[in-house]
Amino acid sequence: MAKRITIDPISRIEGHLRVDVEVENGSVSNSWASCTMWRGIETILQGRDPREAWVFTQRFCGVCTTVHAMASVRSVEDALKLEIPLNAQYIRNLILINHGLHDHIVHFYHLSALDYVDILKIPAADPAKTSALIEGLTNWPGNSKKTFLDAQNKVKAVAASGQLGIFTNGYWGHPAMKLSPEVNLLAFAHYIQALEYQRKSVQAVAILGSKSPHIQNLTVGGVSNAINLDSLATLNMDRLFMVKKLMDEVKPFIDQVYLPDVCAIAGMYADWFNYGSGVTNYLASPDLPLDSKNSKFDLVGGYIMDGNLSSVHKFDGFRDKVFVDAVTEETKHAYYKGEAPLHPWKGETDPELTDWQAEGKYSWVKAPRFNGRPMQVGPLAQILVGYAAGDPLTRKHTDKALDLISTVAGHKIGIEKLQSTMGRHVARAIRASMLAELGEKHWELLVNNIASGDVATHNEPVFPSGEIEGVGVHEAPRGLLSHWSVIKGGKIANYQAVVPSTWNASPRDAKGQHGPYEASLLHNPIADPTRPLEAIRTIHSFDPCMACACHTFDPEGKPVATVKVL
Amino acid sequence: MKTIKVCGVGSVLLGDDAVGPYAARWIASNYEFGTGVEVEDLGTPGLDLIAYMTGMNVLILIDSVDNHEPAGTVTVYDKAAITRHRPAVRLDPHSPCITESIFVAELAGDGPEEVYLIGVTGEEFEVGSPLSEPVQNAIPLLMEKVLEIVVQHGGSFRKREVPLDADIWWENARVGVAV
Repeated sequence: MAKRITIDPISRIEGHLRVDVEVENGSVSNSWASCTMWRGIETILQGRDPREAWVFTQRFCGVCTTVHAMASVRSVEDALKLEIPLNAQYIRNLILINHGLHDHIVHFYHLSALDYVDILKIPAADPAKTSALIEGLTNWPGNSKKTFLDAQNKVKAVAASGQLGIFTNGYWGHPAMKLSPEVNLLAFAHYIQALEYQRKSVQAVAILGSKSPHIQNLTVGGVSNAINLDSLATLNMDRLFMVKKLMDEVKPFIDQVYLPDVCAIAGMYADWFNYGSGVTNYLASPDLPLDSKNSKFDLVGGYIMDGNLSSVHKFDGFRDKVFVDAVTEETKHAYYKGEAPLHPWKGETDPELTDWQAEGKYSWVKAPRFNGRPMQVGPLAQILVGYAAGDPLTRKHTDKALDLISTVAGHKIGIEKLQSTMGRHVARAIRASMLAELGEKHWELLVNNIASGDVATHNEPVFPSGEIEGVGVHEAPRGLLSHWSVIKGGKIANYQAVVPSTWNASPRDAKGQHGPYEASLLHNPIADPTRPLEAIRTIHSFDPCMACACHTFDPEGKPVATVKVL
Repeated sequence: MKTIKVCGVGSVLLGDDAVGPYAARWIASNYEFGTGVEVEDLGTPGLDLIAYMTGMNVLILIDSVDNHEPAGTVTVYDKAAITRHRPAVRLDPHSPCITESIFVAELAGDGPEEVYLIGVTGEEFEVGSPLSEPVQNAIPLLMEKVLEIVVQHGGSFRKREVPLDADIWWENARVGVAV
């Protein structure tokens, strides 16, 4: 008889991800992913000035701020067929790169690493052995015996105080934890160092965007940064070199710490390449445009169906007709009226709340579909599309990672194995190492373009009196994001955001097809139903984001997540 | 000299959850502060709060709270009160995580020595609503508490003769662009 487990983050104003799994004979036999809050935020935009929409969309989520700003200006620019000056493209690209690096570092170390790293084994580690483990493998200065001893002492101090703090509710001692004390210590020392490096990327975003977390420098038509290499008040050489210095500090952390850590942990947990494939249709947007017309890109976009890496369809640009025509959203299992699939430009947001019903409606997330099929989005989709399309940059970084993982695992891990829970972590680290390299390139492109005498940063938008439609896409840290706008007489008439987590956290559709979170949980092992670490590993691998979460602090300290076994 | 950061947190799109950003902007528009004191509207930073609190001696957060008091009640929590309850298993990096951010920053040896949460009990959290009347009325008292803590930790302030525009842009009327 199947046992149902509910993993339900409780918050005062419900607005979070809830996961239900049925476990039979130690393995997941059925699953549901739901979001517990209405995402009706788009309605705020109706009637507003399209040039200001990005200021509002940037507040959809406090962690993904820049991505919603970027998709919004691109949506309005697409509707107006507005070209973007090169400097603006490069400045935007540098913001996207640095935001992405920050986001990926935080995701791995501060959200996911402790799914694999057992903090309570650290006191038993020998710091000298930890240092010896990686001696000669990297030049990273933060791998000395002293660094590891310091990190170990922090854990010992916390353990001795009897206040385990953030570690109180970890799944320590769980049978699925497999690393040696020395490797646990290594990862934990890097967890602490990661705090410093993610902050550097935030600082780079703040310099380019005038502020962080909410950048101020976007305009429909470009950016508002004035460029004058000699003026103190503008984006000058000093500021550009500050950005470069920060990127030069973060890149070695990605190359010598983040990517090797992910590959080492992946190699030591190689069985996690066998779980969590789920939906193997992948969708990614091109990004990091290299010209004013958005026709050339550094990140490849396209789609792959049924896990078939020998057949990939590439997108030509942000508004590829195949993409624009294929997207619909369904609501049979979501708390909205109506059932027919609707295109986002025709999208409706008319709530109809019921109980949580396993066979009926159970989520506030709509079910986006691509030609009627569920799609997985995120760094894995981007890496697989780029790899399958033969993109040299993607291949270089991916092959390097796969070699390292294979060495640690002691057997070959090929590209096809990335279609898994562990593959999503690996793909994110590969993406980070690509972004770190592309950061150098786009910084040089910007500086060289300015040096050539081009200081343009903005093209003025002109709005027609009639109705126009636009789509703004962005390959965000969590995957393909699209903002769909309808503008009439200079005002926003309709606005729908199809966010990456809508694709991945999608409920079933009218045909009963699972969304990616749901499908990826099927057949996961569950050793202990009261501590479903394995299900949490798979969900974390997607980097979930229920963007709309309300932020109210609850002094009663209700837990962030509870596990209820029925 | 101590560094003091005043951070308004919350979603400006969700009614009374905007009280943190609203108050931060209101304080910055009405007062000038001495060196070492920063005032910021941080929105909903989730775990990213860590990046903004490290290196600070004193962190003063302004947020909406649920504490069963009447709407508009202002309550000051100190670090011990905030961290009394431990966070649990986290599914995403975006959920409220003031407590967790403090622990992580402390673990790295870079956390603020003192943390205060100026909580305002909210009432109305509808998408697109302005601040409710009781919460709006609580702003002067809330601001007084912030200034009190700033001074207590050696910070200084001066009331601006002419207040700057607080720029509460999310409450602006819906006006399109001329065509």
